[in-house]
Amino acid sequence: MKTVMIKTHEAWLEMLMAGFMSKTKNKQVLFDFSDILFRHFTWLENELIELDESYSYDRDAIPIKVERLSDLLHAIIVRLNEIDLQLLSSPDKALAERIATDIHYMVDVLSHMSDEMISAFNMERRLPGMALTQDATDALTLFLFEETYKEYELILIYNYLKAHSTDAYMNRIFQILIDESFFHLKRFGEMGAQMGILAVPRIVMKELYQVDDVIPFLKDGINEELAAKEECIKLSEAVGKESQELAKFFDFINHQENYHIALMKDALKHFTGRDHE
Amino acid sequence: MSMDAKLIEHMMNPKNYGTLEGADAHGIGKNPDNGEKVAVAIKVGKDEDEPYVDDIRFQAIGCTTTVVAGSMLTEEAKGLHFKGIYDLVEATMHFLDKLPPEEAACSEMVALAIKAAVDTYAKRLEETDYPVITYKVVHSCVPKEEKE
Repeated sequence: MKTVMIKTHEAWLEMLMAGFMSKTKNKQVLFDFSDILFRHFTWLENELIELDESYSYDRDAIPIKVERLSDLLHAIIVRLNEIDLQLLSSPDKALAERIATDIHYMVDVLSHMSDEMISAFNMERRLPGMALTQDATDALTLFLFEETYKEYELILIYNYLKAHSTDAYMNRIFQILIDESFFHLKRFGEMGAQMGILAVPRIVMKELYQVDDVIPFLKDGINEELAAKEECIKLSEAVGKESQELAKFFDFINHQENYHIALMKDALKHFTGRDHE
Repeated sequence: MSMDAKLIEHMMNPKNYGTLEGADAHGIGKNPDNGEKVAVAIKVGKDEDEPYVDDIRFQAIGCTTTVVAGSMLTEEAKGLHFKGIYDLVEATMHFLDKLPPEEAACSEMVALAIKAAVDTYAKRLEETDYPVITYKVVHSCVPKEEKE
C-alpha cells in the first residue's frame, strides 16, 4: 500500500505538470485527472492510517522535461499501469476497485489525447504580451520557484494534519487552506510553464509535515504568510511599470493571504483559547 | 541573485536532491536564526583504503538559493576523497565574504552539512552509534540594513 501511495503521489504531480505544459483543450482534462489522483492519494493515505502503518511523503524525482506531450503521457500511462498492478494486493477491495476503474478510464483517454509541442522548458523567461525588465524578470523567476515549492509544501502539510485530525473545526480550516494552496500552485505553475521554467517542486522534508506541536507551527505559518504578502507587494512594485495586469494579479494574491492569516489565527485561538497578536 | 541559464537549470532540476537509501552517514547544517537547515546523506567508497564520497544527496528546509548551493556543492563533492571534501568546504568558507549575506548563509549551511556528514562517518568508525553531527552557520541570512 505504501508503494501504491508513493506512485500515486508521483502520478498526481506528473499529471499536474502535463496540465501546465498543455496549451490546448487537453489542459483541463489533465488538471481534472490530477485532482482525481490527489484524491486517490488521500484515500490511500487514510487506508495506511487505518492499518496503523507508518508512511511518509517521500517519493522519487519525476523527470518531466519532454519535447512533446505524448512523451510525458506515455510515462504517466506506464506509472498508472504499475499502480493498477500493485492495487491487486490492496486489502480494501472497494477502494482498489474504484482507483482501478478510474485508472483504466484515464489510461484510455491519455492514449487517445492529441499531441502537442512543449515550450515549458525553453528558459526564455517571457510572459506572452509582456515586456519585463531584466530585474523584474529575475524577481518573478525567483518568486515562482520559491512559491510553487511553498504551495506544494503547504498542501502536503495541511493534508497530513487533516489526515491525522478528527477535529471538524480544524479540518474545515485545513481544507480551505489546501484548496487555496492548490489555486496558487496552479496559477504559479501556469506562469512557470509560460516562462519556460516549469519544474516539479522538490521533495518536502518529513519534519515539516510530521508536526509534533501544532501551535508553534501555526505561529510560524502566520509569519510566513506575512512574509509572502511582502514578497507579493515587492513583486507588484517590480512589475507594475511594465505590466499593470501582472501587478494587479500579485495584489490579488497578496489580499488572499489576509484570509489565510485570519484562518490560522482562528486555528491558534481554537488550540490556545486566546487571540494571537 | 543574478541569473544565467546554468543557475536556472539548478533551480529547475537540482542535482542530488532527495534521500539516499543505505547511506553510510548523515550530516546537518543549520541556521539557528531562522530554523533553516540542510541535511546531507553520503555513501562512502574506498579507494586504496582512502575513503571517498561515492554518492551524495541533500534535502533542505530553506530558500531557492540554498537549493542551488546544495545542487552545485554536492555535485562538486561527489567522487572526492575526504581530503578533497575538506578542501572544498574550506574554499567555500573563504568565498563566503564575497557573497551577499543571504547567499553566504545558504552556501555555508550546505558546506557545513557536507562536512558534518563526513565527520559523522569518521566518528562512527570509532563509535558506531555516534549521533548525526550538526554544525551551525555563523553568517546571518538577514542583510544588515534589514536587521538594524
